[in-house]
Amino acid sequence: MSSPPLVADGLGKRFRRDWALRDLTLTIPKGAVVGLAGPNAAGKSTLLSLAAGVLAPSEGSISVLGDDPLRTPEILGEVGYVAQGAPLYRSFRVEDTIEYARRTNSRWDREIAVELLTRIDSRAKVGALSAGERARLALALALGKRPRLVLLDEPFASLDPLAARELLQLLMDGVAELGATVVVASHVVADIQRVCDHIVLLTGGCVRLEGGVEELLESHRLLTGPRRPLGSIRGVREVVRERYSGRQLTMLVTTDGPIVDPSWTVDRVSLEELLLAYMAPERLPNVRKMERVALRWHG
Amino acid sequence: MAWVTWRQHWTQAVGALGLLVALAVAAVLTRLPIAAAFDHDSISACVPPAARTGCDIIVPHFESQFGGLVTATRVMAVVPALAGLFVGAPLIARELEFGTYRFAWTQGVSRRRWLLSKTALLAVGTVVAAGVASLVVMWWRSPFDTLEGRIGPSGFDIEGIVVPAYALFALALGVLAGLVFRRTVAAMTATLIAFGATRFLVSEFIRPHFMAPLHRVISATTTSAMPGDWVLSNTLVDGGGRQITASREELAVLHAQQAGIDPHTYILTLGWRRIVSYQPAGRFWTFQLLEAGLYAGLAVALVLVALWLVRRTPA
Repeated sequence: MSSPPLVADGLGKRFRRDWALRDLTLTIPKGAVVGLAGPNAAGKSTLLSLAAGVLAPSEGSISVLGDDPLRTPEILGEVGYVAQGAPLYRSFRVEDTIEYARRTNSRWDREIAVELLTRIDSRAKVGALSAGERARLALALALGKRPRLVLLDEPFASLDPLAARELLQLLMDGVAELGATVVVASHVVADIQRVCDHIVLLTGGCVRLEGGVEELLESHRLLTGPRRPLGSIRGVREVVRERYSGRQLTMLVTTDGPIVDPSWTVDRVSLEELLLAYMAPERLPNVRKMERVALRWHG
Repeated sequence: MAWVTWRQHWTQAVGALGLLVALAVAAVLTRLPIAAAFDHDSISACVPPAARTGCDIIVPHFESQFGGLVTATRVMAVVPALAGLFVGAPLIARELEFGTYRFAWTQGVSRRRWLLSKTALLAVGTVVAAGVASLVVMWWRSPFDTLEGRIGPSGFDIEGIVVPAYALFALALGVLAGLVFRRTVAAMTATLIAFGATRFLVSEFIRPHFMAPLHRVISATTTSAMPGDWVLSNTLVDGGGRQITASREELAVLHAQQAGIDPHTYILTLGWRRIVSYQPAGRFWTFQLLEAGLYAGLAVALVLVALWLVRRTPA
């Protein structure tokens, strides 16, 4: 009962020659709302597909609600998975789609689904729905299963900001009622930052950053100061990223104590800035390499 | 899953029903003149072994009169493939093509159960539809069956229980092809090729040997009239039992003509005979059972492979 909802151990997935995911070890805590962030092709969809038992791992293992989703597919009845683009049968009416889910899920809860589908004509064809309605239907199908784990792959990709916000609200209401763990993959940071309390950042098929949002924000600081050689700064553990603009130097750093050096302006960092700094496309050395460069430079 | 299967496949059920109605109507319309001619010419009196005088004229006339229609019924030999092309092949391929497998296979029903339930229900529908088609053809062909038999290639594979078995085999082929090729059109093509190849190989090389053929020695000059039986080979042999090649036969005929003798008489004086190898008409249902069993077994094997593979699909 108390096994974590999602555990990956040395998980890897290869498509022909290319690794979409490599050596991924991860534990999602129960009840967390996890933002799965990362640029395109970082492996977000692959990770969710593996969790939903749609794909089989090439190496390592993944366990969902304590079971291997491929060996024990029955566990998927407790996982609400919405794939990218919310694939549904276009020729089905909305009510047929709901009926499909009811007949293939033993824990089906009609009320939850119906609640999400007010304002959608149940006799409309799925193919005729707007992107927002379709996303809502897919969410209703996922939450109607009374899932213990919800996996959403880019649910906001085709939605306007208003519809996205609305969908997010529906999601959070439903999840609060169910007490489910949620993993939302999105490459748009703004989508997820308002709701998630946990972040997993993937780049190039590896976990780049992971942790609770509060702790991450607390352990990072943005330093701004004049561009000049300097010794190590008290309180700075690692330099994640630095940027020059004119004579000014801005650095994102991780801290291990308060920074009191008066030559630096110390600012808190927003989650968006933090994630963008970690997944910025140009030269993405890992933290350790960056540290070495920084040390030499501190010289 | 019964509801799901019905919801996704009812259009195919309607299509099958439409085809069956069209077949029945065509059968009734074309069968009426056949029945009239059959009665009018009292052809029943020519059904072997009875043979009143004039049968050697009446029967060929009857057969040639409706020969075109009989040829047309041969289309029923490929109709069972439709089950594979339009029901089996899209079953998984469409889900993979449109991405809907991500929905269908992540519900509370495991994908194995999903595949097994769907295939089993569709198999029942396929067998019923093919069985009805087979009954219609059997009714239509009954006058010709009494005259020329049905164990031979013109009747065997469009009558009886092999028709549902072919359809079942085609369905299973389509399902597996859809899973392997992942595209509906590719799966349909593969199904058609594999179905055609299997049917050809079985009817050419396996069916003749279901049971050891019987042999009969007849006079060298009779044209092996053995109505109802399936003649596999008919060879001319000399007194010692050696086969007479075509060129040797031609030479003999030429020789007789030059000598001014009737070639038939000449060949008889040489002591040549014909040995006919055949499957008797009475083996029809045994052969039906064997062939239907073969195809049903193949279908089961293909479905088992699909059930095994579906767990590792799509990667």
